[in-house]
Amino acid sequence: MNYTPRLPGRNHNVTEVSPLRELAVLLGGLLAIIIFAYLLLGLGADLLVSRISPATEQKLAALLSSHYGKPSQPTPREIELQAIINKMEQSGCVDLPYPVSVHIVDSKTVNAMALPGGYITVFSGLLKIVRSENELAFVLGHELGHFKHRDHLRGLGRGLVFAFLATLTGTSESAVSQLAIKAVQVTESGFSRSQEAAADAYSLHILNCVYGHVGGATDFFIHMPKKLDPGHIGHYFASHPENKKRIQALIALQRKKGYRSGPLIPLPALKKRAVKEKKSYPSPR
Amino acid sequence: MTDLIIILTLTALGYFAGSWAEKRHYLSIREREKQLLHLPAITMKDVPYPGEAVRSIHLAAGSAVISIDYFKRLLAGLRNIFGGTIVSYESLLDRARREALLRMKESAPEAAIIVNVRIETSAIGKYSSKRNIGCIEALAYGTAIELVQR
Repeated sequence: MNYTPRLPGRNHNVTEVSPLRELAVLLGGLLAIIIFAYLLLGLGADLLVSRISPATEQKLAALLSSHYGKPSQPTPREIELQAIINKMEQSGCVDLPYPVSVHIVDSKTVNAMALPGGYITVFSGLLKIVRSENELAFVLGHELGHFKHRDHLRGLGRGLVFAFLATLTGTSESAVSQLAIKAVQVTESGFSRSQEAAADAYSLHILNCVYGHVGGATDFFIHMPKKLDPGHIGHYFASHPENKKRIQALIALQRKKGYRSGPLIPLPALKKRAVKEKKSYPSPR
Repeated sequence: MTDLIIILTLTALGYFAGSWAEKRHYLSIREREKQLLHLPAITMKDVPYPGEAVRSIHLAAGSAVISIDYFKRLLAGLRNIFGGTIVSYESLLDRARREALLRMKESAPEAAIIVNVRIETSAIGKYSSKRNIGCIEALAYGTAIELVQR
């Protein structure tokens, strides 16, 4: 028996496949599946939302609000905000199946939310930067738009689907799940963009209907301090390119519909400040 | 956004640095395998040398630890979902085994042959942290036989 020293010609233990190709195939397949599942489930949630009756929504809201706690006696500022809402509702410009009530939550956040059951939550940070009733009415009208289009329920449905997918992919590789979550977030932001635009349009319509003009509609975006800009697709972030698009869309819509601008109504609580700063008002469009 | 940048940077780093290290390692492995071709390492337990021809026998062992990189881990993670051969880990194990064999041979330069060679593999640092950055160790060992010089 002779031993013949020999080097192996080819390595049979290592498959010759380009790692980049492998990555492209696997990642592409995974992302496609996740986005497809998200769209499908999201569509299901949307269909379900359109079937939820206002009565069911009230029950759902009762469940949620029991977590947040029942609001106590309204504060003067809440009464002030509620008065603007009431004015909108009484003018016959708002067509919602239930009355809407406003609550203020103490927070630096510059934002407002539409919650199931006709509850609008306004964060006090937002109230610090608004300067006129028209501006505030635009924000409230925007939330009414979300009620009108049922985005607040849709958001819940999609949020649930999103959370489900996140936990599903979260069980495997962390990097993989993070990539998947990003992919869904980008898809999601496309949805919320169109929802925000629709709510903006609705708000502009209400503003014109209630006040007879749309002055102050875009002021809010301009008054939003740059440092408070959260920098992602959100509700009312300012100076972001996305936001500039929103202002442009509002101005374009205003021209198309032939809405005109008019004098702004200062807020009662802010009258003094408003008078003082009157000169610094941007010229009405 | 920051997380995504970190992931992409680590993956790119894993790909470029990992491929570079692997290429260099394979060059070195092939070169040294050629140089050590004269020393047979076989799995037979015994070779029939006459007793007076054997000068000494001793244990020869060599081990190598090869780390995984972020890119390979990502590929393996994706493979975990779809199933199939984890191609990205194949080269790691191959390098570890061949490097361990080479080190075993290098540890017995006087030997005429190494018999009863075995290779064992174990995972290191598998549960060391949440990130689960692991590496593998291959250990090759056998009995080196030195012959009387004539």
